[in-house]
Amino acid sequence: MMRAVGAGVGALAAGLAVVATAAPGDEGATAIVRGEAVLRAAGGCSCHTNYPDEGDTAPPLAGGRALATPFGTFYSTNITPDDETGIGAWSDADFLRAMTEGLAPDGSNYFPVFPYPAFASMTRRDLLDLKAYLFSRRPVRRADRAPDAWPPFRWRVSVTGWKLLNFRPHRFEPDPQRSASWNRGAYLVNGPGHCSECHTPRTLTGGLDRSLWLAGSTEGPEGELAPNITPDRRTGIGDWSAIDIAWYLETGIKPDGDDSQGLMAEVIEHGFARVPGADRAAIAEYLLALPAIEHALKAPPRPE
Amino acid sequence: MAPTNFALTLALAIGFAFPALAAEDKVYIGYRQKVMTGVGADMGAISDILKNGLPYTAAIAIHADRLADAAALIPTAFQKKVTAGATDAKPEIWQKPDEFEAKIEALKKAADALEDVAEAGDRDEIHLAYKKLGKACGGCHKTFRKPKEESYKNR
Repeated sequence: MMRAVGAGVGALAAGLAVVATAAPGDEGATAIVRGEAVLRAAGGCSCHTNYPDEGDTAPPLAGGRALATPFGTFYSTNITPDDETGIGAWSDADFLRAMTEGLAPDGSNYFPVFPYPAFASMTRRDLLDLKAYLFSRRPVRRADRAPDAWPPFRWRVSVTGWKLLNFRPHRFEPDPQRSASWNRGAYLVNGPGHCSECHTPRTLTGGLDRSLWLAGSTEGPEGELAPNITPDRRTGIGDWSAIDIAWYLETGIKPDGDDSQGLMAEVIEHGFARVPGADRAAIAEYLLALPAIEHALKAPPRPE
Repeated sequence: MAPTNFALTLALAIGFAFPALAAEDKVYIGYRQKVMTGVGADMGAISDILKNGLPYTAAIAIHADRLADAAALIPTAFQKKVTAGATDAKPEIWQKPDEFEAKIEALKKAADALEDVAEAGDRDEIHLAYKKLGKACGGCHKTFRKPKEESYKNR
């Protein structure tokens, strides 16, 4: 474990060294380095890269990825710093408003397929560092695509109702009764990691079902099954050790030797495999301290 | 043969043939799954050594050697096309045989590479080679194994 942690810290230090050499002592450069760490903790923001259709040639972070939901298919947005089709013209305030209120610079709503309810809990510094990193990337010209959904789900104005029902923005508050690593894990899981967005089932109105927090969902984005990650022994990950979880987040290999597939494989490859080992350990500590919820998942029948 | 007799014979033939075929398929699936479970067991065993820091570095080379051998068994395990029943094998295995073969070759290469570094004994090198081996598993499963939401295990 120590070795795994050491390797992770080593990798991060190497990353720091590379960018620090480019602009020594520059506050902007360190914000970019910190911002990349935030992006990794957010699973590499890989929903904004169209890997399924374009593979490794997909322009990073330029959006256009189809995200199938029970309410229709939504397409991720271009978050490269292109002035016209991306977020290049955004101010810091625009970025914060998008991430914490789900509002575009023109005041219209973002569809809740964008996990702003999780990002709203992030520190303002992490969010602005993330913006600094995104703005250091290559701008890509690619216009955002309208959703393939039926009214009212395709109307942005409908999201106002959704927000009234389901959106309770709150910033992360550390729990002084718990360890620093538990608090770090809580922040990562519920903030940047936005684990609940896939691993918590949704109510009829598309809000997260708080009684089944992280207890698994059969209706994750792209129709994926997101397992129960509470420490229930039978239906969750209660028989995994903290080391098993941290190792899984680094390698994608489960305790039984099987690998990870789908969105989680991307989240690991572009995200958690590249965060410091201490962060993976913190996530593991937090998950194993969650209340165990018995919730067995069966995939919904789908047409052959 | 009168048409009705023909139809009856055909119906009987199908009636008898299908359960027999299904039973035979099950046997092939059983063999295939044991080969793949063996792969998973060696992968899991190496994980146990690395993540828990067990003092069995030398054993990693043996596990890696077994994985390279398993790569030679996989073409046999998937020789017969069986996609119905309790299996997650996708028809793509038989539709894209060249690509499937290339993925098995990638597994063998990654297993051989892990065996080499495991014999040398450097834990960091082993760690890296193991991660590459894990990607070889995933690289093949991505195209050729049903995702978990379609898996027979979750139905």
